[in-house]
Amino acid sequence: MERELITSRYLYRSVKIKETKINTFSKDERTDRSFRVYDGEYAGVQFVQGMADEEEQFAKAAENLSLKRPYKFALETGTRHRDKTERGYTDRELMDIAHEAVEYLKTHHPDFIISGEIYVSTSTKAIKNTLGLDLSNTDSTLDIEIAFKHKDSKDIDDGWFSIGQRDFDFKKFTDMADNYLTNFTNRVELPEELIIQEQYYGYLGKLNECLNAENMALGTSLLSGRIGEKVFADGFTLTHDVSDKETWFTPFFDGEGVVQPNDRRVFIENGVLLSGYADKYTADKYGVPHTGSAGINMTDIPYNGYVNLRIERSEKTVKELLDGRLTVVPIIAAGGGFNDKGEYVTPIQTAMLCDGERFIGRLPEFAIKGNMFDMFGRDFIGVGSDDPVFNDKQILMRMQYSK
Amino acid sequence: MYVFPKGLYADIRIEHSKTAAYTVQNGEVKQNSETSVTGAMIRVYDGKMWYTGVTNDTDKIQEELDGLAALAEPDPDIENVPVVKMFEVHKDKVLRFDGDNDVRKITRKQREELLQGYISACVDEDIPELKQWYAGYSQAHIIKEFYSSKGAEIVQDYQQCGFWVWFDFVVNDIKTSGGRSFRGMDFDKLFGHEQEVIERRDRYLDFAKNAVDVTPGDYVCVLAPAVTGMFTHESFGHKSEADFMLNDKTLQDEWVMGKKVGSDLVSICDSGDMLHRGYIAYDDEGTAPRETWLIKNGVLTGRLHDANSAATLGEELTGNARAQDFGYLPMVRMTNTYMEPGDISHEEIIAGVDDGIYVYNVNYGTGQGTFTMQPNCCYRIRNGRLAEPLRVNVVTGSVFRTLFDIDAVGNDMEFCDTSTCGKNGQSMPVSDAGPTIRVRKLTIN
Repeated sequence: MERELITSRYLYRSVKIKETKINTFSKDERTDRSFRVYDGEYAGVQFVQGMADEEEQFAKAAENLSLKRPYKFALETGTRHRDKTERGYTDRELMDIAHEAVEYLKTHHPDFIISGEIYVSTSTKAIKNTLGLDLSNTDSTLDIEIAFKHKDSKDIDDGWFSIGQRDFDFKKFTDMADNYLTNFTNRVELPEELIIQEQYYGYLGKLNECLNAENMALGTSLLSGRIGEKVFADGFTLTHDVSDKETWFTPFFDGEGVVQPNDRRVFIENGVLLSGYADKYTADKYGVPHTGSAGINMTDIPYNGYVNLRIERSEKTVKELLDGRLTVVPIIAAGGGFNDKGEYVTPIQTAMLCDGERFIGRLPEFAIKGNMFDMFGRDFIGVGSDDPVFNDKQILMRMQYSK
Repeated sequence: MYVFPKGLYADIRIEHSKTAAYTVQNGEVKQNSETSVTGAMIRVYDGKMWYTGVTNDTDKIQEELDGLAALAEPDPDIENVPVVKMFEVHKDKVLRFDGDNDVRKITRKQREELLQGYISACVDEDIPELKQWYAGYSQAHIIKEFYSSKGAEIVQDYQQCGFWVWFDFVVNDIKTSGGRSFRGMDFDKLFGHEQEVIERRDRYLDFAKNAVDVTPGDYVCVLAPAVTGMFTHESFGHKSEADFMLNDKTLQDEWVMGKKVGSDLVSICDSGDMLHRGYIAYDDEGTAPRETWLIKNGVLTGRLHDANSAATLGEELTGNARAQDFGYLPMVRMTNTYMEPGDISHEEIIAGVDDGIYVYNVNYGTGQGTFTMQPNCCYRIRNGRLAEPLRVNVVTGSVFRTLFDIDAVGNDMEFCDTSTCGKNGQSMPVSDAGPTIRVRKLTIN
């Protein structure tokens, strides 16, 4: 009988801001552990948060073999440890950054009421087993999340911005704050051509669902039966990427301890669908490629679903991709989303007109619509090589106005 | 029991939770687990700032409390700081779920039998369009202790159990998902809903086969009771949470008590002591819940508070300071929020529409000034009767206009006890309720 231990450790210190004042200092430190035993046919799992005797917990995991949770696959081996931490912050340093940030916003943008949080978080995920597997991934960032509301606005809030960095650069924060707030009250008209510029994570949810190999096999995915076909634009390449460059707290291993070659797996290459994603169970059941996509399930056997989807960047900057055109940056787009047909509609409560780098003015409320195959197909412009506006990668794509 | 530091306000919130889950997908058991977690949040306030810490080790609470106190600046007059004066002091033990109804006594076998019964009765794999199905059961039992430096000593419990059966139908290569979930506080009441699940299964199969795309535009809309519940929560409920308007003169002027904010037919209430999903014996600052009328006959009559917002605005506590669990700070949240029923029937309301849309069910909603709901099943109304099913992506409206546009309120109020509200990164069980209502104009996409 083999044993395995998955550990998730989380440290968090935070300064909360309410009504443009420092309000709360918080700290939290938690360790979750999943004790697992395997008899070749079944897995026994025992979850614990906090302190516990390891031998006792493994004994409980062994008792849970009676639940007959199926797991017939060979366990992984190998050793690797990755720590992306670039610097640490004392409580005093965190408080000083918070005071400096609030003071900057009060002084330079006095017409806004600010709330939010400045926090340092450190996360370690590790997996070890009695066959010699020993993997760990640690990352640590300082994040500032700011929600803002103009003092004359009748809404609950008008927008938000956030910036996370491993080695915090205050200038990047003030640049972002100035960009979001300086022209916020400058009212402008909607452009005729609607080019959306936004961090793309929110648009990938439907694609994530469609790429689940089980959904593809059962016919419930819009991509069912289309492997090998060109489904999106030439410039659209989609990967699971947990390499040093693209990681952001994301471990380089999946919930079964599987590590991808070069920490990367391509699902869609130059618009051509190569495969869906599958953990060991899904790959075995449906006879599809195993892609190391098991989610960590601390309380039971793994599930299919660990993908860190990234659209490959263009060699051109955002400005070069736009070639003089203006974009629309949604700030608050709450509600709506994709429907089962892959059509996307959402109201945009707050948006800014942008030249690709700097905001020009605030747009009226409107709604946008598109279709997954068009958004990543004929209407896809690209993901820039640089990170203006968000200090993060962002998609450019044409969409249409809706009612 | 705990030695509270001088010159500071402090409170300790300890939680002991036990959960269980059992899920099945296409006949395979995907989850069969039980968990047990204990943890505590300690808060210290010096009149200027809060200092908080979280621990799983309840033996170290005093140490944590002393450590946080060392960061604060004691104020000899802390008892007279407005927010501290607001905190109620109750010594009470309210254990409603430690008898025969305690879900911790439900065995794995009982959970499996409940769910397998529904699977046997409701999943028909001979339906050619049925490509995937999911069924699940979950339960949670929580004991909360609350102690404060003012002398509060409260022990209360809470529990939930529920199941769901969900179907993925594929027609013309398009998937339609739909199903039914039931949630409550009593395991025994989860039995006997087979026909309701089957009705929902057949409704979504019909929807998958026959739904047509809506033409975007403004429509008269009739909202089913469960939809009215979400509408009430999203369109107005979030604007009644007072923490968004502190030190904000524009919003205080906009939402001044006595202002007409909706039609005479609209009355909305929040009450945490009803035994629905948003039930609390005390909130997470130790305040007893009240019945708070937010709107009465279209007039703004109340709002929801934690101690800070009540002290800042000079209003009474309402018992709405809630935290997701011991790892989170309490903030102003709804509990059980409902629109008061009227006196006409669902049929009469639909009969009064020549051309409109009946919103039968929704996935989720959002609550900005422009609120939204994402429906998963709608029908066209033609000449006062329900017609073809409609595929609608999103319903939007403005809180400043829509409550005035309600021109009919039905007599068929229903509680939706499966809702979870998200706010500032915290998920909270709430109950929404309302009757069938008619709104003269909502925007449909």
